[in-house]
Amino acid sequence: MLLTRLKAGGPAIAKQGILVAFIVFMIAFSLMSDRFLSADNIMSVFRQSAIIGVMAIGVTIVVIGGNLDLSVGSMLSFATVLVVDLHDKIGPELAIPVMIMATLCLGAINGFLIGILRLNSLIVTLGMLSAIQGLVLIYSGGQNVDIADQSGTWFAIFGRGAIFGVATPIIIFLGLALIFHVIMTTMPFGRRVHAVGGNPTASVFSGIPRSRVVFMTYLISALCVAIAAIILGSRVMGSQNNVGQGYELQVLAAVILGGTSLLGGSGSILRTVLGVLMLAFIQNGLILMGQPYYTQWLVTWAVIIVAVWLDVAAKRGRLFSPIA
Amino acid sequence: MRNSMRLLLASCGTLALASAASADTIRIGITQNNVGIDSYQTTYEQAFIEAADANPDVEVIVLDAGGDVARQISQMQDLIQQNVDAIIVWPTDGQALVPAVRNAHREGVPVIVTNSNIAEAGMDFIAAFSGPNNIQQGIYSAEMMCEALDGEGEIVQITGMPGYTTAIERQQGFDERLAELCPGVTQLDIQPGDWNRERAQRTMETLLTRFDNIDGVYSGDDNMGVGALNAALAAGRAEGMVFIGATNFAVGYDAMERGEYWGSVYQSPVDDARAALQTALDVLAGEDVPKLNYFDTPKITQENMHEFDRPVF
Repeated sequence: MLLTRLKAGGPAIAKQGILVAFIVFMIAFSLMSDRFLSADNIMSVFRQSAIIGVMAIGVTIVVIGGNLDLSVGSMLSFATVLVVDLHDKIGPELAIPVMIMATLCLGAINGFLIGILRLNSLIVTLGMLSAIQGLVLIYSGGQNVDIADQSGTWFAIFGRGAIFGVATPIIIFLGLALIFHVIMTTMPFGRRVHAVGGNPTASVFSGIPRSRVVFMTYLISALCVAIAAIILGSRVMGSQNNVGQGYELQVLAAVILGGTSLLGGSGSILRTVLGVLMLAFIQNGLILMGQPYYTQWLVTWAVIIVAVWLDVAAKRGRLFSPIA
Repeated sequence: MRNSMRLLLASCGTLALASAASADTIRIGITQNNVGIDSYQTTYEQAFIEAADANPDVEVIVLDAGGDVARQISQMQDLIQQNVDAIIVWPTDGQALVPAVRNAHREGVPVIVTNSNIAEAGMDFIAAFSGPNNIQQGIYSAEMMCEALDGEGEIVQITGMPGYTTAIERQQGFDERLAELCPGVTQLDIQPGDWNRERAQRTMETLLTRFDNIDGVYSGDDNMGVGALNAALAAGRAEGMVFIGATNFAVGYDAMERGEYWGSVYQSPVDDARAALQTALDVLAGEDVPKLNYFDTPKITQENMHEFDRPVF
């Protein structure tokens, strides 16, 4: 009966189903591998999760606004190929702003079609997924791009460097998460995104510029992708032209795991961070335990289901739906 | 009525095309997998067109399926309609393409499969396969690993995308040859890197956490191999670690030049394309062509690397 009355643990715990699930899995893994909770490993997983994590921040905001963004994977390919290719041509100090501007343009196209023209976000971003991949192939001519001088460039700081002993990707990831968490919870813009996603009609009647808010969410998503591309390009020092393929689904999985509602109107950046970390720790933990990849796929799926279930159960206070 | 008009028009078009080509010109159609998705396939297409242009007796129709098996099947039907003398196909899906190949076989158009082979069920309907021998490549990598480690050590393996023929065959060749040639070398773990450098880097970081000692890394291609090398360098453990790959990429070639990468297998898309065209011409000339034609993919190591051009991809 303990589990069927989760609410007995108090409303605070009831709201944190994902956190409870996270802690349970961490304890389980640490019992099975003695290296799992070592400082090195934790740092390594945080660093690995930064790319997906930064992208997930942007997608969380889009999803809270009541839309989807499936184009982030190929947008990541685009941005990474661009920044790596331009690095050797015009230098990193110009390559980064040019790449950010170009990626924001893609976000603006998404934002225009979905925010201003009010087209369905699933269709638009699914189309953009292949359109941008095509753009990358045209740009690169199918060639991989690489940075020639890997040890000499200051561009290495974003993916390989460290500030006060903490790897830069971790600082960027957690810093951005914190900034956008504050924006989403305390500032008018955040409340508008929630309102637009929760009840679009009501938000318009309340005088919220719905089109502009949705447009902004896609700009933010594109900005996050651009930042993720800087980390990725710097970490790998090169790029395949399909490097981000499939990342959109990992990002979406993390956002859903974090409890953000796909219907819009509710969600939290910090909980998305937990979702990202949980997926990263699962992959890491299973390799540490020596499990083959197909086990990882199965376990990842099972963990998502269990975590989402625990989350729902915590919210309604019982494991099974009271309505048959 | 409308349909039959269309059919009539279509056949007129085909006739016109067929008569436009002179009697001794050999017309070969090729439908490729996905040009532009990677440098290998892009270079392959250029090399194929160049090789065809160099031969005045050959006229080629170059098509690309864009990775879409349905499109590739209709492209094969189109080529049959156009009365080509032979079809070269780079399968998007070795299994799903079998009926289309059977159809061409029934129509009397010889099919030459290039680069990656069709499923076993289709082997009876093709004239020949031309491409790299991935099992042999795995064997070469195992031999290099064994030599580099002097027959003793602990290694990890990073494979390509699970389920892909190339990945499966390279792993098979490597595993079998290593066990036979080098029982003193143990494989600590085998994990996929999905042909993705970042993914391989992540996998290697975790493997470095898990194992205190790793003497060597075998990667299913150099792109992933360099990812693994990046991880080892970042952890300060690359010193003395042996990196062996396959499909030598420019990044792998450069790492070899720096002395960080031990060896790989050299596979040239130019050789691949030329071999495919030559196999088709041999088939059409009525020569006794074996079913499986492998072009040479030699070992490349720090020692002999300067006999090879830096890969274009």
